[in-house]
Amino acid sequence: MASTVIGAGITIEGEITTEEDIVVAGTVRGKLSAKEAVTIESGATVEADVQSGSLAVAGTLTGNVTAGDRVDLQSGARVVGNVKAARVTIADGAQFKGNVDMDV
Amino acid sequence: MADNTTVIGHAARVRGRLTGEVSVSVHGFVEGEITVEGDVTVESSGIVDATIRGRRLVIRGAVRGDLVGGESVGLAEGARVVGDIRAPRVAIAQGALARGAVEAGGEGEASAVGARSQSAARTAASPASRGAPLPAKVVASSPVVRATAKLEVAAPVPIGPATSSAEAKPSHAPARRPPPPVVPILKKAKGQVLKKKER
Repeated sequence: MASTVIGAGITIEGEITTEEDIVVAGTVRGKLSAKEAVTIESGATVEADVQSGSLAVAGTLTGNVTAGDRVDLQSGARVVGNVKAARVTIADGAQFKGNVDMDV
Repeated sequence: MADNTTVIGHAARVRGRLTGEVSVSVHGFVEGEITVEGDVTVESSGIVDATIRGRRLVIRGAVRGDLVGGESVGLAEGARVVGDIRAPRVAIAQGALARGAVEAGGEGEASAVGARSQSAARTAASPASRGAPLPAKVVASSPVVRATAKLEVAAPVPIGPATSSAEAKPSHAPARRPPPPVVPILKKAKGQVLKKKER
């Protein structure tokens, strides 16, 4: 019914766990895990390890990422950390520093 | 507003601290602390184990922790709250469960998020006039309002001690009782035993 949205202007320090999708437009520090899709919007700041089904990043992410399906770093994204996923895309204009580990 | 509101979905769990200037709606589980300058709504599916501070709080679900509203706190039907409630206006609907101290009236405003200086000025200027327009919905609050109106000189001062003593009573009273009677009884008993043995 209501999937989780971390709105712009809010800061969560701690751990977020969900069985559904989650959209982050604010700030999250700590740990973020979701069974389904995680979206980090432009303007959002995430300083956390992320575990998810899939991940789309347009904001700033510092931390390691493990995704079951795919990780998309969109234009304007700024990511520092290691990415482990079956499929990874890095769009033109995305900043990325870290290792990529794709299941072969 | 819908864009800016933070929603904790019903399948989500948050452990930690939520802070910010926006509104929060909780359908899921939050443990820790919620301190925002906007409104907080705990929906009927929401479970919160945290102190909640916000402007207007609406509770339809379960909360264990104190509720501090800058403007108001409302418990809707089906709400279950264990904790103290503080706000200028408090409403508890029929069918809501609450356990804890309730302070409706001036107190909540003094501790409101981001409105301290304004409320202090208003309290000092006209305590009597502020007491009058609030036909407090909770009966317990009316003596507090009257007391501040009578004193008039330094309204914020008597509010503090009254608040803390009211909160402290239930937790400290049972803990302090046992020690005094134990000591004299032991001494008497010891003395009697010794005397009997000597004889």
